[in-house]
Order: sequence, then structure tokens, then C-alpha cells
Amino acid sequence: MRKLLVLTLLLSLVFATTALAQDESQLRITFSWDTDIDPAVGDDFSSSHALANIYDTLVFPNKDAAVDPWVAESWEVSDDFLTVTFNLRQGVLFHDGSELQASDVAYSFDRLRAVGEGYAYLMPDATAEALDDYTVQFTLSQPDPFAVDKMIRLYIANEDVVRANYDMESDLYGEHGDYGRNFLLTNSAGSGPYEVTDYPLVGYLEMRRWDSWWNAENFHANAADVVTYVDTTEAATVRSLMLNDELEITDAWQSIEGLQALDAVDGIDVMAIPSMTSFYYMMNTRLAPLDDVHCRRALAYAYDYDQVVALEWPGTQTMVGPVPQSLGGHTSDLTIYGRDLDKAREELAQCQYADNIADYPIDVHWISQVPFEEQFALLFQANMAEIGVPVNVLSTPWGTVVENAANMETSPHIVTIYVSTDLPEAGLMLQQRYTSPTANTWQQNEWLLDEDLDARITDALLTMDRDERFAKYADLQREIADQSYSLFLYDQLEKHAFKTFVDWRPEENSRVMGYQIFAPYIGVDQ
Amino acid sequence: MNFLNLEELQRLFVFLLRRIFQSIFVLFGLSILIFLLSRVLPGDPARMALGARAPQETIERLREEMRLNDPLLLQYQYWFTNALRGDLGDSLRTRRPVVDDIVEFLPASMELVLLAGVISAIGGITLGTLSARHKDSWIDNLVRIVSYMGVVTPAFVVAIIFLTFFTTAEFGLDLFPPIGRLSSGFEPPPRVTGLYTVDSLLAGQFDTFLDALHHLILPSLALALGSLSQEARITRSTMSDNLTRDYIAAERALGIPERTVTGKFLLKPSLIPTVSIFGLDFAANLSNAFLVEVIFNWPGISRYATTAMLYKDLNAIAAVILILGVTFIVVNILVDLVVGILDPRIRLRGARSD
Repeated sequence: MRKLLVLTLLLSLVFATTALAQDESQLRITFSWDTDIDPAVGDDFSSSHALANIYDTLVFPNKDAAVDPWVAESWEVSDDFLTVTFNLRQGVLFHDGSELQASDVAYSFDRLRAVGEGYAYLMPDATAEALDDYTVQFTLSQPDPFAVDKMIRLYIANEDVVRANYDMESDLYGEHGDYGRNFLLTNSAGSGPYEVTDYPLVGYLEMRRWDSWWNAENFHANAADVVTYVDTTEAATVRSLMLNDELEITDAWQSIEGLQALDAVDGIDVMAIPSMTSFYYMMNTRLAPLDDVHCRRALAYAYDYDQVVALEWPGTQTMVGPVPQSLGGHTSDLTIYGRDLDKAREELAQCQYADNIADYPIDVHWISQVPFEEQFALLFQANMAEIGVPVNVLSTPWGTVVENAANMETSPHIVTIYVSTDLPEAGLMLQQRYTSPTANTWQQNEWLLDEDLDARITDALLTMDRDERFAKYADLQREIADQSYSLFLYDQLEKHAFKTFVDWRPEENSRVMGYQIFAPYIGVDQ
Repeated sequence: MNFLNLEELQRLFVFLLRRIFQSIFVLFGLSILIFLLSRVLPGDPARMALGARAPQETIERLREEMRLNDPLLLQYQYWFTNALRGDLGDSLRTRRPVVDDIVEFLPASMELVLLAGVISAIGGITLGTLSARHKDSWIDNLVRIVSYMGVVTPAFVVAIIFLTFFTTAEFGLDLFPPIGRLSSGFEPPPRVTGLYTVDSLLAGQFDTFLDALHHLILPSLALALGSLSQEARITRSTMSDNLTRDYIAAERALGIPERTVTGKFLLKPSLIPTVSIFGLDFAANLSNAFLVEVIFNWPGISRYATTAMLYKDLNAIAAVILILGVTFIVVNILVDLVVGILDPRIRLRGARSD
């Protein structure tokens, strides 16, 4: 009898989970954690995806590198470009059923600026005011051609809900207590297509479809009832989940080998999406021998870019100039460095260090946390040996890279980094890569500190006319390519394995981070 | 039970007091060490917490808030006096009190480690006893091979093997869920201990109990295999030694049944080294569970601690290591007590030395 009981217990254990009926359609995606769902805190890959699904914004990025009306039906920009007025649509409901109004927009803007985290750095220097229930006006301190575009990162929170959940024991934000941070850490107060239903901070984030979403008619016919972000990128776990039908889309961090193995399984495909990210070898132009443009060009001509892209996912393209090709204002009309050993030797001969180049070994630091980068560094070492340039390949933890980048003296010859931009315009990438304010950050190992270049990039960014602005970007790209401040490796493809029953068309979405996996537009046709 | 006479209870009390007193110094030293070590890791914690593009004034505000601009000694003083009041500071990563994080994540790991402990104790002692009783037979050889494999194979490799062969039908059997603590559709039971299996039973939710146990088995087994193997080897070795003792021969000559000889007179003294190793393994599993927790997406303290290290989350690092230190100390005190119960000579020796 006792044995029978034990056997029954064991059998019920084994079938405990499988006996559960799953009536609701699910979309489960793995992500690299942390995921911050506070609209004034989150700004990384998983957080941006979560925020786009939980919160609405005034405007919405489209596939043409522009923005469409969203919660704002229309907007007007004043002639002096200092005032932007948005007219909101009526009837947009928050998840608690109350209506989204202009005061919520102004409150969310103030809160984002006060907290100062997340996408606060991107917001224009402005004040926001609700003129009436459906009109909100931003007054800028200086003209900003991207003021409207930047509103894709102003996630509109329900003021009443957030205020009701202030922790007034905290004096972090004066009269606002903790500004609702503790509440918004694990709860949502949005009006977006999905509402957070369970978030224990680690492990997973569960969101349920908000059928009263103002744009509900555009839900995919088979949009998932429940969307779950799963907190893992561990290859064995991801593979098991995919094979076990417990995952629909994988994260973007799986290895090429892992993706190839998944691609070979029936019912699983791999999606490669062009991104706004490129892979750079950032050269410290203050360190010998890289302070000589001819030495930099010699390196650029000696590197085997075809081999580089062969190490990546099929379809990966070499960079054309200093910004990703997916950005508005990119130009192909510039110096393109392909592997040409004769040219490399020619340039090296003109370098002031040519006679004793062996005395100037070049340190290449790749990021320890991204082991995939080592193979590129080793290829670089082998390629440079062919022209007699000695290279030391060094694995460096990310924390050390960031610390080294803070000082010119500690910045290495070369550091290998993927960089992405916030909005799909070439000028913004030029600004973050080559202007003086970023010279002491990981975004720029080149240490250009070139006031003239700074002024020209700023001037281009403040040019309101799009064609004129793009023409200025093109000139800047040509000059930067000519000076070979960096080695331009490849434009990164964002790769995900996915179940073939998932109707997912990221090419119809914007390439802005967070919008590739926009759940309401994805069908789960199980 | 002859152990609990009044004099021995007094000695036990003195023993406990002395160990607790010693532990205070150990924890104090540990806190200084961890405080210093966590601060020499590369990178500005505020910058790492807020991201590369956070405005400088926000970073400065966080540095002020965390008192990172104060001299190191002063920082330690703040931290230490707050810790004495039970305030371990806020986590830079989760932005809430570290104590809240520990309350959230520790039970998940405890549940894992407790079941792993039960599996390794029962499995290790059973296999060790079997092996000793059938010394040099095929059973002994089989247990030896399995034990050696268990000792040399890291828990995360076992975890990957289990995940591959017991969670999908493609390579093996779809017997267990691959990740998490509960299946989709199950609500966590009302929180009492934070251990889902215990809380679900307390709430009378038998379905939830079965589901939680179902999720617990594979990661616990993966974690337990190393210590189980070690305990099997040690039990076998000590029992084999004791088998040749005169008192065993005498008991057999007196006609005492073999089962009684093994269970009562042979196993009990042979367990002393096993229990000591078990104690160390139990506490070590709490910190070694990182990769098992990653692979099974288990929201435990070990994974939390490792991520804290990567993010240079100073308060979280210090708090978790203190918790691990306390666990080591408590488990070792318990082990000493159990060893005392198992071996009267140790008690007497302890009594004499007092």
C-alpha cells in the first residue's frame, strides 16, 4: 500500500505541469537582465522593449527613420523652433481605466527630468506645460531639430497612480518623496498595449494584453494574451526552452554556433535584423604610433574585413564609413578601407614611426565579457604582423575599460566596442563618437578633443532643414573616414531564433532599440 | 536520552556561547575584508548602476546618497553602524533595501540547498553503507565509479546534462520543467517561509506543492550530486575501517543480527566525518549554486550575489557575503552538536577540556 502511494506521488509529480491546460496564447522571449520598468529609469535593451509595450508615447518611431502620430494626433513647431505643441487624442485609457491627459504628459516629463536616469539624458532642455486636458506644450531653451523625435522616449505614466504610491518616508525628491520609484520598480502605470501583472524583479516579467488600448484595432489578430520576458541568455537553457515549446523568441545574445544549431531544428528559424549598432576599433590618436594618420591608415588597409564579417552571421556587412548604414544621413561617398597590403605598406612608409615600428607594439583591449570579440583581435594581430606591426591582444573586463576610458593616459591604443545610437540619424552617432564631451567615456577612445569638429557637428545637428543637415553629416563622415580615427568593422545584425508559428515582421518596425519586438504587432499562431 | 543531563546541558550552553562569541569576531573581520575588496573592484559603482549615458549630476547625486565621496573609513563606519541596526543599505541595482532583496531571494536558494542537502545526506549515506557492506563487490565498484564521476563533474555540467536529457523529448524524456519555481498558471502560495513547498503545504495547496517540488527536483539533484558522491566515499571509507574493529567482531560473536550491527553500532560512529563534510558542503552549496541557478533560471541569492559583483553593487555584495558567513557559522555549530551526539567521546573530551 505504501509503495502504491509513493508511486502515485511520483507519477503525479511528473505529470503535474503537463496536466495544466494552457488556454491563453503566450509570447515568451528571453532577455539579458536587468529589466527596469520604471519609465524614468529603464534605458537598456530589455527595459526599452518592456517600456515600449507597457507605456504609450506622444509619437511612435516608424521604419522610415521618422515618427508617426501616436498619443499625439498632431503637433506644431513654432517658427523659432523653441516651442513644440502636441495635441492629444481623446479617449486614451490608462490600465486603471482613467483617461490619459496632457497633465500626465507634463508630469511624466518633469518626473523623468527630476529622477535624471533612464532616457533623461536624451530629453530636450525644456519645460512642459498642460495648456488644457488635451494640449501639452514644450518650451525649449534652444532650437532642437530632434525635439519631436526624442518624445519616443517620454513614456507617459498615470500621474494619479504614481502620486498615490509615493513613499513619503524617503526624502530623495523633496515633496515627491521617492517619486513613486519603489512602486514603479515592479508595477506599471501606463496605457500601452500590455500591462504588468507579475514582476518579481528577477526571473521573469509577465505582462497581460490591455484590450482597451486606444489602438486595439491594430493588435495582430493573434496577438498574445500574455507576454513573458524570461530572464536568461544561458545557451543550454534557451535551447531546452525552444525545443520544449516554452519559448517563442530567443534573446539577441546567442552565439553564432547556438543559432546555427537552432536554425537546423524543424519549426525554428533565425531572424537577422539590421540595427543601429556598429562594431568599432577605437584608436587612441594621442598615443604613438596612432597619433600619425599614416600609421592609422596602414592599419585600416591591412585588416581583413572579409574575414571579419565571415566570423559573423551570414549577411553581416562591413561598415561603410563611421556610422551604421541604417541611419538617416549616412553616406557611402567616402574613403572605404578594404584590405590592400600594398597600400598599407605605402601608408606605413610615410608614418614617422616607420623605421622603428617594432618598438611601438599596439595594445588591443577586447571586452572580457564578450568572448566572441577575441577572434577579431587575434585576426587583427595576425593581419598586422604581415606589415610588421606588433600587436598585443588583451582581455579587459568592462569595468576596467570604462575606468581606463576616463583618462587619456590610461586609454589603450585600441579598444574594441559595439556602439549604438538612440535615434536613427547619422549626426547623433557622430556626436556621441567624436565630440569632446564623450572623450572621457567608453564611447570615444580616440580622444579627438577637436573644437572645430565639435562646432561643425553641433552646427549640423542644429540645422533644421533635413537635406542641408544630411549634407553636413556627409562632409563630416568623409573627413572622419579620411583621418581614419577608428577602424570600421561591421554593422551589427540583431539575431534571434524564433518559432516559425510566430508571425513576426521586424522589418516593418523602426530600428530604434525597443521596437523590434513590439508585442501587439506579433502573432502567435499556435 | 543520556546526552541531556543537566551538567552536559550547561556545558552545551557554554559551548554555544563561546562559539557565538568567536563568531562575532569572524564576522567583523569578514565585514572589513568584504567592504575593502568590493571597493577595489574596477569601475565607479554609481556610473555602473546608472548606465554610461546618465548625466554627471545624477551620478554625483547617487554618489552622495551612497556616501561614496566620503573617506573609506567613514564609509565603513556608516555601513557598520547601520548594519548593527539591521539596515544593510540600498542595492544599487534593484534600488531597494538589500534586506528586501535578501528576503526575496534567500528562501529560493534555501529551498534548493535544503532539498540538495536531504538528497546528498540520504543518497550519500545509503550508497556509502551499501558500498561498505559489499566491499570489493561489483556494487562497491559501481558506487566508486559513480562517486568519482560525481565528485569531478561540476554542478553546472550536471545541470546542463539534466536540462538536456530530462526536460525535452528531443534528446531524452520530457519529465521535468526546465526553468523557474512554478509553472505558468500557478500563483505563489501565501508567503510564510518563502519556501514554496512548505508554504503551499501550510496553505493546503497540494497542487502548488507538487508543482513546486516538480520544479525543485532537477536543480537540487544537480547541486547535490557532488556532495552526495563525496559523502558516499567518506561513509564507505570510515565504515570499512570500523568494520575491522574488535567491538564489531565481538557484537557479531554475541549473535547480534547483522542489520543491528550495521545500523546501530557501525553506522553511527562512522557518520562523524560524513556529518562534518555534509555541514561544509551544505553551506558551500548556498554560494556555489550560481550556475545551477542561472541554468534553471532560479531566482536565488547566489545568482543575485554574482550579478551584484558584476555590477559592483557594494551593499548587496557585503550583505550577501555576511549572510553566507552567518550560514557557515550556524551550520558548523550545528555540525559540532550533531557530532557530539554521535560520539560520546567528543562530548566527554569537550567536558574535560572545560
